[in-house]
Order: sequence, then C-alpha cells, then structure tokens
Amino acid sequence: MENSKETFEEFKNSFNYGSRSDLNFKFLKNMSDEDASLFFQGLLWKMGDTLNDGDFSRLVEHFIETQAKAYAGAGRYAYDDAPFTPLRAPLTQLRLGLMSSSGHFVDGNDPKPFGAENMSQKEAEARIDDFLKVEPQLSVIPVDTPVQKLRVRHGGYDVRASLADPNVNFPISHLRELQKEGRIGELASEAYSFMGATSQLRLLNHTGPAWVKMFQEKKIDALLLVPV
Amino acid sequence: MSVGHVARLMEADGIPTVVIGVKAFRDRLVAMHLPRTVITPHPMGRTLGAPGDHATQRKVILAALDLLEQATSPDVIVDLPGRYEPGK
Repeated sequence: MENSKETFEEFKNSFNYGSRSDLNFKFLKNMSDEDASLFFQGLLWKMGDTLNDGDFSRLVEHFIETQAKAYAGAGRYAYDDAPFTPLRAPLTQLRLGLMSSSGHFVDGNDPKPFGAENMSQKEAEARIDDFLKVEPQLSVIPVDTPVQKLRVRHGGYDVRASLADPNVNFPISHLRELQKEGRIGELASEAYSFMGATSQLRLLNHTGPAWVKMFQEKKIDALLLVPV
Repeated sequence: MSVGHVARLMEADGIPTVVIGVKAFRDRLVAMHLPRTVITPHPMGRTLGAPGDHATQRKVILAALDLLEQATSPDVIVDLPGRYEPGK
C-alpha cells in the first residue's frame, strides 16, 4: 500500500479476514460503503453521548442493530419444505441432547484439525478457507465436564465470550441445573460441539446423516441446537 | 448454517429439535424452514446472553424448552424480548 491510498472499501473489508481481521466486525464487508460509513459515523456520534453520561448501552445496541442489518436476507440455503417431528411426551419424561457449532472441546481432547497440534485461534482464522472445504469434526463432551475444562477454537467468530463463559453458546451448566430441578427428564450423557464453518455439502450428505444415526442409537429424544 | 442443516436432518428422521439463534441469523434461519426457533436480541458469538449473565441465559434456555414442548407445527419462531446486557 506504499504508493496507493487505501480506499474506504478496502478499509472496511480489511476487518473480514484481512489486515485488520476482527470477527466481530467482519460483517462490514457485507455492507455498502454508504451503510458502513453510516455505522462508523453513528458509532462516533453516540460515543460523544457516552462520554457525557457513561451509558454505553447505546453503542451495544448500535452494534447489534448494524450486525443484524448486515446479515439480513435469506442467504444461500432457502428451502420450501419444513420437516417436523412433534415431541412425543413432556420433557420431564425424555432424554435431551445438546449440540452447538461453538467449537468447544475438552482440554486434552483437541480434535486437531488437519493434524495440527495445538492450533491457535489465530491459525484457525487464517485457515478458514480450508475449513470450509472439509467436513466438520465432532467433539464429544461428557455432560459432567466442569466448564473450566472446556477449550474453544473457531475460525468463524470471536471466541472470547465462549472462553470467558462457555454457557453463552454451549449451555451445559444450565442444562445440568434444569435436569437437577426436574425440568428435563434426563440429559444425554454426552453433549456435542463442532466448528460450524464447514463444508455444507459434506455436512448434508455425509456427516449430518451419520450424526442422526448416532443420536438414534443413543436414544436421544430431542435436541437443543445452538448455531454460532 | 450448519446447525440449520442438522436440525432439518434430525426432524426428517424423527428427532425433534429446537434452535436458539441470534437476531443477525433470523432471516437465514427462517428461510431454512426450521421446526422451532428462538431468536435472541444478542450479538453473534454471545447467543444466550453476555458472559456471566446467567439469569438471561437461563431464561433463553427455558423459552427453548417450552417451545420444544408446545410447537404443533413447523416454522414456529419466538422472538425473545429484552436487551443484551454485558457486565451484569
């Protein structure tokens, strides 16, 4: 960039796996230059108010609204049919499973993507295109795993909240609590997490059907799913 | 939209599901015609609520479990009220 000035478009796109990669703001690439400039302008103006009253909730709301606007639209996977299975009994009589695309795994049981030892979050982000070509690896997480033993890595989102409190995307503590309280009959002995940024074709044709079979064999009656 | 695909496969083969997703994913999840979806007013990567906000996280889970039991047809979307409140 020595001889040419960076354009605004290049600047906003650089947050999406570019020189300023920041997965919280990768949505800027989805926006027109005009909408992105309105985001920055609004952010700075609201910051002026926050400097006076210390209330930063307006910044949070501005961020959430803009993110939702940037992702609006049906995306690549619109279907006409709507498969549906009713629950056959109240949950107090059933076995519930948990699956999240959060990228959590148990300490000492790293799925080692592409055979890499201790792949860092940064490396996972750098290899996002490779992840999108292969099928997802499933991490099996015993439901009694203490949250302190959970690790997380995911090339598609900012994992800091998932690290600080796994329950934000992988609500294992809450489900244990609700089982104790009797809201859920039984929690499946294993919960599952995988990195959602993956080949959708392979997931649909190979990995997904294998997971269905596994859940049927484990007699899981219903599944709570969290996309990240 | 991996989780949406998993939900569709499960439902087609007899396992009921409920999906909890953030507002930014709403249109995409709707387009996938999932059976039961709970939408939270939270940012991506903090689906159930802010780190440490156990009260909100628990409310979201309970809403999802209620929906799992109550839905009698597909395409049911529950938009949860409230705000994302970090630092609580």
